[in-house]
Amino acid sequence: MKKALITGYRGQDGAYLSRLLLEKGYEVYGTDVPGDAGVWRLRELGIEGKVKEVRLDLMDEPGIRSALEAVRPDEIYNFAAQSFVLTSFTHPVLTAEINAVGVARLLESVRKVVPEARFFQASTAELFGSVGNAQKNETTDFHPKSPYAVSKLYAHWITVNYRQAHKMYACNGILFNHESPLRGEQFVTRKIAAAVARISRGLQEKVAVGNLDALRDWGYAKEYVEGMWSMLQQPEPDDYILATGEVHSVREFISGAFSAAGIKLEWRGGGLSEKGVAASSGKTLVEISEEFYRPADVKELVGDAGKARRVLGWEARTKFEELTRIMIEAELARLDGKKVQL
Amino acid sequence: MKKALITGITGQDGFYLAELLLGKGYEVHGLRRRSASHNTARIDHICDLANPGASKVKLHYGDLTDSTNLTRVISEIKPDEIYNLGAQSHVAVSFDAPEYTADCDGLGTMRILESVRLLGLAKKTRIYQASTSELYGKVREIPQSEKTPFHPRSPYGVAKMYAYWITVNYRESYDMFACNGILFNHESPLRGEEFVTRKITRALGRILLGVQPCLYLGNMNALRDWGHARDYVRAMWLILQQKRPDDFVIATGKQYSVRRFVEMAAGEIGVRLAWKGKGPAEAGVVKSVEPVDGVDPRDIKIKKGDTIVRVDPRFYRPAEVETLLGDPSKSRKVLGWKPEISTDMLAAEMAASDLRLALSEMHLRRGGYAALKNC
Repeated sequence: MKKALITGYRGQDGAYLSRLLLEKGYEVYGTDVPGDAGVWRLRELGIEGKVKEVRLDLMDEPGIRSALEAVRPDEIYNFAAQSFVLTSFTHPVLTAEINAVGVARLLESVRKVVPEARFFQASTAELFGSVGNAQKNETTDFHPKSPYAVSKLYAHWITVNYRQAHKMYACNGILFNHESPLRGEQFVTRKIAAAVARISRGLQEKVAVGNLDALRDWGYAKEYVEGMWSMLQQPEPDDYILATGEVHSVREFISGAFSAAGIKLEWRGGGLSEKGVAASSGKTLVEISEEFYRPADVKELVGDAGKARRVLGWEARTKFEELTRIMIEAELARLDGKKVQL
Repeated sequence: MKKALITGITGQDGFYLAELLLGKGYEVHGLRRRSASHNTARIDHICDLANPGASKVKLHYGDLTDSTNLTRVISEIKPDEIYNLGAQSHVAVSFDAPEYTADCDGLGTMRILESVRLLGLAKKTRIYQASTSELYGKVREIPQSEKTPFHPRSPYGVAKMYAYWITVNYRESYDMFACNGILFNHESPLRGEEFVTRKITRALGRILLGVQPCLYLGNMNALRDWGHARDYVRAMWLILQQKRPDDFVIATGKQYSVRRFVEMAAGEIGVRLAWKGKGPAEAGVVKSVEPVDGVDPRDIKIKKGDTIVRVDPRFYRPAEVETLLGDPSKSRKVLGWKPEISTDMLAAEMAASDLRLALSEMHLRRGGYAALKNC
C-alpha cells in the first residue's frame, strides 16, 4: 500500500486530495497546525479520522526529519503555507519563513531521509503577476507582485533545483485559482458565496469587497487535486500549469453568485463608490472597501493548461458558471443544515 | 554629509565600496558579524577597532538573520544609502547549507527593506541590492541582459532570486528607491580564497615557489564574464544616484573559460602551460618557465613537464552553470558606466599580488622551520 504525506491536509486542497488518495487505497498521513482548524472540511467530506495525523512544522527541520523517518512516504504533497496574499504585506518575514525556507527545509530533509519519494510543490499563478494579457504557460516569465508571490517563487525554483541538482522526483503544479465550497472564508470567492447565501436568506445586509475588476482563471479544486496526483505518476518529473483557460472578473462572480441565489444584481456608480444593488428593491448589497486592495495588485491571470492536457490527460471540466452554482448551493445547504455536495 | 550603511563590509566589495564612499566624503557605517576569528583584515586600515571614535568606518555588530538588530542599527544611523552586500556568497557551500543561505541572502534582504519601511525611512533611504549573474544559471539567451528570464541552478541562486524580486516588490508596492545591480563575476586580489579566480592565482604563486604541489579545479570549461571589483563598486554607487530606481546588469561583455583564466594568470608569473587529457583526466603541464621580476631564479621550483593543474570532480557543482556573459549596454547608456580594467589586467594584478603573498609565505616557512630547529 502506498503511503502519502500531505502537509496542510486540513486546507481546501489537502482535504480534497486526502479523500482522493484514500479512495485510491493510499495510507494517508497528514500534518497541519495544532488544534482542529479545518476539521470541518474532513467532516463534510466524510473522511474525519481517516487520515493519520503527524506533527510536522516547516519551521523545524529536525522535526521534519523525524516525521519523514516515522512515515517514510512514497509521495509528499506540500500544501502548507501562509497563503494570504494581503497578509504577506504585513507579515513578509513569517510568509517567507514558511513558504520559502520551509520548502528548502522539507526538500533537504526528503533528500536525506527518503530521496526516492516523489514530491509535489503547490506553486501558484501569482508567480506570473500581470505581464501582458496573454495566457501563461510553463515557459512564461515570472513577475511576482507580493511578498507571498516572491516566497512562492523561491519555493518553485528550489523545487526545480532539487530535481536538477539531486535528480529527485520533484514537481511544481502551477495552480491557477481553484475554488470550492471548502475554500477558506477569507478568500474572495468563498467570502462572496457565503455572504450571498446569507443575504438571500435575510441573515446579512451586504458584503464589502476589494478590486471588482481583478480577472482570474477560476477552476474547481476537486479536479485540481486529480492533476496534482497525476503529476507524481509520470515517468519523469516536470512542472505543469493547471488552469481552465477562461478568465472572469470578481464582478462576474458576484453577479453569478447572486443570480444562483435567485437575486438579480445591478451595478451603479464607479471606482470606490461603485455599488451592487438589488434590481428589485434598489437595496445596496455590495460595496467596495479599500481595505481589501493590495499595495500592488495582479490585474489579470489566465492559464494555458495545454501541457497538462497533453501529458497528464488532465482537463478542468467544471467551468465558471457551474463552479459559482456549486458554491452557492453548498452555502445554502449549510444554512439549511443539509449535506453539502462536494 | 551623506551617510551610507554597508552590509558585508568585511568582504571584497565592502572594502572597495567603503574606500570609494570615503573618498566621496560619505560617513561610512559597516555591519560586521561577531566571529571567533578575526574577520576585518581587508578593512583594517580604514577601521580603528582600538579607537572606534577615530575610525574612518564605523562598525556595528549585526547579522542579516536578525531583524531586531537590523532595525536598531538602521534606526540609529538613518542612512541615506544602504548597500546590501552581505551574503553567504559561495555557490558550492549553498548546496550544503541551503537553509542558512536562504535565511541570510533571501530573507536578510527583505529584513532590511522591511526595517527601512517600518522606520518611516522609505522616502529617505536608497537601497542597493547585490544581485548576481548566478540568477541566469542555465541561461535562456546569450548574452544576458536585464530582460533575460532567470533560471537559477543552486540554492544560492534561488535565494538571490528571492532577494532580487523582493527588492522589485518593495519598489513597486511602496515606491521605495530600491535597486538591483545584477553583477557578473567581479574579482580582485581581495577575493576570498575559496572563489575560483583567487584560488587559481593563490595556488600558482605557491606552486611556482614550491609551497604547494598542484592546483585542483572543477569544471574548467565553465565560461565567465570577469571584471574587477574596483570598477563594479563604482557602478553600485551610480545606480543609487539616478533619478529613478531601476535594475542594471554590470558586466564586461567578454567571457573566458576557467582554463583561459589559469593561462592568463600563469603567463603573468612567467609560466606557459599545455593541456593534456580530457574531462576529469585533464591536466595542465608546464611548457616553459621564464624568470620573474622580484623572484630569485633559485626559488622557482617548477620545470618543464611538471603537472601543476589537475581536475578534482569533487569541485563539480551538482548543477553546473556552463556559461555567463553579460550585456552591459543599459548601464553604459543610463549610468555612463564602463569597466576600465580588462580580464587580462585583472588576472595579471591578482597573479602578481598572490606571488608576493607566496614569497612571504615561502620566507616565513623557511624562517619558521629554521627557528623551530634551533629551539
